[in-house]
Amino acid sequence: MNQNPHPGQALLTLEGITKRFGGVMALDDVSFGLHSGEIHALLGENGAGKSTLIKILAGVYFPDAGTIRIDGREARITCVSDADALGIRVIHQELSLAPNLSIAENIYLGREPVHMGFLNRGRIYREAEMLVEQLGLEEISDVGLLVSELSVAHRQLVEIARALSCRARILILDEPTSSLSEMETEALFATLNRLRSQGVGIIYISHRLEEVIRIADRITVLRDGCSIGTQDTSAVNQKELVKWIVGRDIVDYFHRPPHNPGDIALELRNLRSKDIHDVSLSIRYGEVLGLAGLVGAGRSELARAIFGVDRFDSGEILVEGNPVSITCPRDALDAGIVLIPEDRRKEGLVMMESVAFNLTLPWTKEWNPSFIPNSQKRNEMAARAVENFSIKASDVWQSVEGLSGGNQQKVLVGRWMEHPPKVLILDEPTRGVDVGAREEMFIIISRLVEAGMAVLLISSDLPEVINMSHRVAIYSDGRIIDAADADMLTPEYVMEKLTGASVHEET
Amino acid sequence: MKKHSWKASPALRKIGPLIIAMAALEVMFGIFAPGFSQMNNQIDLLQQISVNAIIAFGMTFTIMIGGIDLSVGAVMALVGTAAASILASCDPSMASSVKLILAVGGGMSIAALFGLFNGIPASKTKMPAFVITLATMLVARGTAYRFNEAQPIPIPDNAATFLALGNARLFGFIPVPVLVMLAVFAFATILLHRTRFGQHIYAIGGNREAAKFTGVNIVRTQVWVYLLCAVMAGIAGMINTSQLYSAEPASGQGFELNAIAAAVVGGTSFTGGIGTMYGTLIGAVIIGILDKGLNMAGVHFSLQYIVKGLVILLAVYMDVRRNKS
Repeated sequence: MNQNPHPGQALLTLEGITKRFGGVMALDDVSFGLHSGEIHALLGENGAGKSTLIKILAGVYFPDAGTIRIDGREARITCVSDADALGIRVIHQELSLAPNLSIAENIYLGREPVHMGFLNRGRIYREAEMLVEQLGLEEISDVGLLVSELSVAHRQLVEIARALSCRARILILDEPTSSLSEMETEALFATLNRLRSQGVGIIYISHRLEEVIRIADRITVLRDGCSIGTQDTSAVNQKELVKWIVGRDIVDYFHRPPHNPGDIALELRNLRSKDIHDVSLSIRYGEVLGLAGLVGAGRSELARAIFGVDRFDSGEILVEGNPVSITCPRDALDAGIVLIPEDRRKEGLVMMESVAFNLTLPWTKEWNPSFIPNSQKRNEMAARAVENFSIKASDVWQSVEGLSGGNQQKVLVGRWMEHPPKVLILDEPTRGVDVGAREEMFIIISRLVEAGMAVLLISSDLPEVINMSHRVAIYSDGRIIDAADADMLTPEYVMEKLTGASVHEET
Repeated sequence: MKKHSWKASPALRKIGPLIIAMAALEVMFGIFAPGFSQMNNQIDLLQQISVNAIIAFGMTFTIMIGGIDLSVGAVMALVGTAAASILASCDPSMASSVKLILAVGGGMSIAALFGLFNGIPASKTKMPAFVITLATMLVARGTAYRFNEAQPIPIPDNAATFLALGNARLFGFIPVPVLVMLAVFAFATILLHRTRFGQHIYAIGGNREAAKFTGVNIVRTQVWVYLLCAVMAGIAGMINTSQLYSAEPASGQGFELNAIAAAVVGGTSFTGGIGTMYGTLIGAVIIGILDKGLNMAGVHFSLQYIVKGLVILLAVYMDVRRNKS
């Protein structure tokens, strides 16, 4: 769609890049090329070697073998400042801005113009304004705003502006859309297209294949540290791409369980709070209710209210038809409701602690009823979860920090299944996990629902929410604006509803 | 299974270097400070560290949950002053053990009160523990000065049992403060390493949000932590008062910093979630060895501060490096 008809000349060429960590071959003879004015997607499952490759380009690692050429000249990148000098900039998943400084100050952070020893704030603002205008980043044209007041999407633009202000010619974007709404993604793509036409070379890393196919000119796939090949985007479709990445056919990617609804497990009646406007819904046992909404629609707020993290002002929560009073997560857990939060690292796991610690944390009462911890019981509990959810860890005492996103997610879900809850709320369960792990998560959800659990699936990935749910509630601005059987819905229809509604709200 | 229980606490692996450091200091002062290694002197050493160690055990709990308690030194002084006032106002004919119970009971209630004073705002509001306890430190110190016009209150000679708390020796050999220290250590160790409460402390310190989402009652746990810390400071205050034969309202200044140093040298991380009780005990011993050893080796007191400061810095640096790898 956005294919660039006139690719520029070779900007960056990698040949035979090899990197070992101890006995592990992280990159094995990888070659890669980037033209100026090109968006080149780098795809692969977690652990395929993408981040190692980026770190080599960013000067964090030095390759064991291979050459890097920039404009045809061989370049040595031994440290981060080398990469800077060559015009290579990585826009990370975790943004690195100072929240209490303005946009302009962030753009010039670390190289502020000074006048006779004093910060030349006037110049910072003037130049920042010019830069932003020149790049066409209208969204952040008010450069005096504090970064802490900006959305994630706009912060990302600040990072891009900062990179380009130091004359970066090669931008590396690592999962740039993982926390953006569909509309923000569109805006980012418009920006990337503009930068492409200005001759910037962009390496684009994402798990979202639909996006990659739309935005990228070429695609290179890494698997187990080897480059599987490079293709023009126009020559591949999504199905082939999945097969290419995973190395096998994923026949039925989504695993919707059969619909055998039982009694009503959870019911909300007229729930209201600051962010929730009169929400009523019900979920039956053995059923998945999808809550489709854009980022920022207040879906997490609803989940947090049901789980007792946030308070709601009025309305009722009923479990199996009986009203329950939920004022804290403990109450929700006692009522049989579990929330798997959106942010695994922040709200889910104690990252520095072991798999076993995290798996058994909710059940301390059982393995440590008094002053004598029952390590055998605890170990069994952990081993059971590891086996049931095929959590890949070197052993249960490994810290969860070292696990892949998919396995961290399995720890988070698996720990509650020691005593399965009645209702499981999943908030963006597949965010930041790779294709294979995503499928595994779908299989887990399906298994739990078949066993009779009621699931509320919150997701901004519309194909996911439609294909995994039996019924879908379309959620926007704290309201359910539409609900239907999932079979009746298409992603296009839901998107229309969501964007239409939000336009309506704004006007 | 055996292999696992070893791996179960990576903290255990961290204790090795600390023990080596402690042994090295022992050997070094054994050579350079005449009489340092003698049994008597070693017993004295233990007696001298007991007050700091008891405070440090409580401090470890607060640092473990990502907090701090700066008020312990002032609470110590206040508890001592209150206990001494109770003793002084008792009928001299009263049995000495009854007086002990009254004095200790009164003092400890005040300590507990300050624990709640710290813990409730620390857990229920967004005020940082550093600031809360800085404020309660001033309140406690001021309250201590209110007694007896800020003058020291001598412990009456007839309060024999109270005086025994700081000065008697079991079998004429093991000082009572050391016994108290060991008892508090055992209690704190069990609490931190073997109970649900301890598990929740690691969870809260490691990731407060995740602990909340797991159903841990984070408010209650935190209030208990500050309560424990204050009560342990109170115990230390009793011993200190008994050892001095009088309650000094101005005593205990800077004790909070010594306790923090012991905890930190012992491997407690200021980011929370990392630390052990035995680490803190060894940390307190290391600081005690430095104090006593440098003194006996005839090092000028000004240099003693400098050495101590550098040792703390080194210990924390090594710890940070170890945690990183």
